[in-house]
Amino acid sequence: MAITTIPHRRDVIKDIKNRGGLVAAVLPIHYSRALLRAFDIFPIELWGPPKVDVSLGGAHLQSYVCSIVHNALSFLKMGELNVASLILIPHTCDSLQGLTSVLMDMIKPEQTIFPLYLPRGQREEDVVFLVDELQALYAHFSDFTGKYPTNEELLTAIKREELSDLLLLKLHKNRQQMGLSNIDFYRLVRSREYLSAEHFAALAENALQVTGETAGGIPVILSGILPEPMKMLDVISKMKGQVVADDLACCGRRLYQPGTSREPFRRMAERIIYAPPDPTRGNSIAERAEYLIEMARNSGAKGIIFYEVKFCEPELFDLPNLRNCLKEQGLASINIEVDINNLLPHQIATRIGAFLEMLDS
Amino acid sequence: MGMTASLKYYWNVKVTGQPFLYWQRRQAERYPRIPSRWRMDILSPPLRIGARTKELISRHYLEGRYASGHRPVAWVTSGGPVEILQALGFYVLYPENHGALCGVRGAVVELSGMAENAGYSTDICSYARTDIGSVLSGKTPVGHLPKPDLLLACTNICQTVLYWYRVLARHFEVPLILIDTPFVYTKVSDHALGYVKKQLENSISISEQVAGCRLDYRHLKQIIRLSKDATELWQEIISRGRHQPAPISVFDQFIHMAPIVEMRGKKETVYFYAELLRELDENIAKGKGAVRNERKRLLWDNLPIWYRLRYLAEYLGEHGICVVSSTYTNAWGELASLMNSEKPLESIARTYISPILNQGTKYKLDTMKRMVKEFQLDGVILHSDRSCKPYSIGQIDQRNKLIQEFGIPALLLEADHDDPRAYADEQVASRLASFVEMLDD
Repeated sequence: MAITTIPHRRDVIKDIKNRGGLVAAVLPIHYSRALLRAFDIFPIELWGPPKVDVSLGGAHLQSYVCSIVHNALSFLKMGELNVASLILIPHTCDSLQGLTSVLMDMIKPEQTIFPLYLPRGQREEDVVFLVDELQALYAHFSDFTGKYPTNEELLTAIKREELSDLLLLKLHKNRQQMGLSNIDFYRLVRSREYLSAEHFAALAENALQVTGETAGGIPVILSGILPEPMKMLDVISKMKGQVVADDLACCGRRLYQPGTSREPFRRMAERIIYAPPDPTRGNSIAERAEYLIEMARNSGAKGIIFYEVKFCEPELFDLPNLRNCLKEQGLASINIEVDINNLLPHQIATRIGAFLEMLDS
Repeated sequence: MGMTASLKYYWNVKVTGQPFLYWQRRQAERYPRIPSRWRMDILSPPLRIGARTKELISRHYLEGRYASGHRPVAWVTSGGPVEILQALGFYVLYPENHGALCGVRGAVVELSGMAENAGYSTDICSYARTDIGSVLSGKTPVGHLPKPDLLLACTNICQTVLYWYRVLARHFEVPLILIDTPFVYTKVSDHALGYVKKQLENSISISEQVAGCRLDYRHLKQIIRLSKDATELWQEIISRGRHQPAPISVFDQFIHMAPIVEMRGKKETVYFYAELLRELDENIAKGKGAVRNERKRLLWDNLPIWYRLRYLAEYLGEHGICVVSSTYTNAWGELASLMNSEKPLESIARTYISPILNQGTKYKLDTMKRMVKEFQLDGVILHSDRSCKPYSIGQIDQRNKLIQEFGIPALLLEADHDDPRAYADEQVASRLASFVEMLDD
């Protein structure tokens, strides 16, 4: 598949605007795409775009706040989000919570800010709370757009997203048979961050029809928030590594299963709450370890690269225990911390190379 | 609970320990000794209550030392709804307070280093690193911490506590109760309140199971009343900072706030704060201020810098500056009105969803503006705390608004509440010097 067929984010936004659609800038990690689409709002995700003027964010945030949050704010201050009518910020961590609050109370951008609190457990009360929270968001969107989608319309939107998510899951499962390089695979799956469900589904179906020669290489799992700068994926390829599965917040942790409930809000809530383990949603270290070990077993991975954004507490707290559990199962791991704003330092390439060599031997 | 452990507890705590601590306190009250390094030329002698504070804290840790096996032990986050556990007879330990104590006693670098050697990043909260280091090594300046039978993490102060307590839950292999308190960006929603209440209800059966007894609601109501009484007294105490000269500085408040954090719901805490209030009122009557020559009055925002309390108190005192109020100590008093023993779970839910750290940046800015007026302050120091993002994010705008819209000098001071390695002596000294100069202009 020619990776050039994936449209650029800017073109997608332009197209939405030309059709009179509303664009929502959505920050990491979990939210219901279906809820937005039911209101004809198109979510375009903002994962701290690199190459921004960080001094703009730095005027409001301390240096010990992660680069995802810094960059998102800098991007907004640069005027790059002027295309968005609203900003949706799921409550992912203390830093994103702080950013939401600073935006709502201090900076007050032109866009309306919509926070979404994600519960930290997987108990029945967490599901009930998220149902209520999504219903509250529905009411806010109604006020904002003047629209009142029916339950049937909501369910249609949900099913459309579920179909797309199933294809995403299939892409993840078939990644070793698709003949795509590491970077091309992630360009494809990450287009889910800004393409509509229909557009992504078409792209995914095409991609799944193409089989290619497996690139091969030393099989590894990638864990962390996001693979930025994306050049890192090329580095892994060059060092003869092959990412065979991932536990990335922007990808593998969002392989939502189809829902079962006929009640649309409950269905949306359950899909988020029962998604693969994620520290920001309160999953235990044991659940995460078990999940990673299973993932390694199914994918044949020999080791795990924890590719972390500096200052990311949800990730950093689990690491020592996770790594010990993996070690007990004979799985090697390495921890790499990056600032997504920096170019990939040579030192990181060397460390990845050394890790892959060690796995190979 | 075991007979041997109970005998040990009674002998070491009730028969020998507590009487000894009582005697020690009485001696200190009868023959007060001012620490030799105390700057009597700039600061008033330490409050008399200090001897009682020492006794209370020592008693608390002494009880903890022998609690295992005698009574159930819970480790709880500082903003956690502790009343249910108190009513079930748990000995309650607050790792953050222990972390603060380690900070004051200079033990953080060693303990935190142990956590770092085990793979914990220096970028995570220093309280958590200190606690994890202490757990892994068994070392603590208080001798011994009892192993928890139950953990309770409440997210009303940060999400960090959940990550931290997941590590503890894995280490100790004990149940972890999560009380998730949705962040209040504008106002508390009914569904958020219902969510917290439901979690509290569900936490009762787990806690009862660990405690091995049923919750007596009459006892719970009594505990809530005591919590409310102590919180109201604390609010009264910190409000005394309005007097000029202020009879208590925030550095004293930081030291004497331990009982309101660690011992809410106890009679002795109420007596303790009533006594402290009496002493402050006496000092007000005598015109005695915490800083001898009080010329300027400041507000402190965020957690204390535990390992530099003395330095900051003396440096500022030398310039006739008294830090009379703080958003941090205020946070432990301002929720008193929400406590209602007649509606136990509902009022606990409302109280514990409402702390300053669980509310937006505007709420804190408004609190600071109100305090500046009420306490007639000349400036604000905002401690930008590397370890506490929920408290610190927003401070840059808050400082700018205090200066631009409120016309009050405000200084952002970069440090960390517990880890001295994130503190640059010279940088802080020069920034403080410029700020002090500006206050005089």
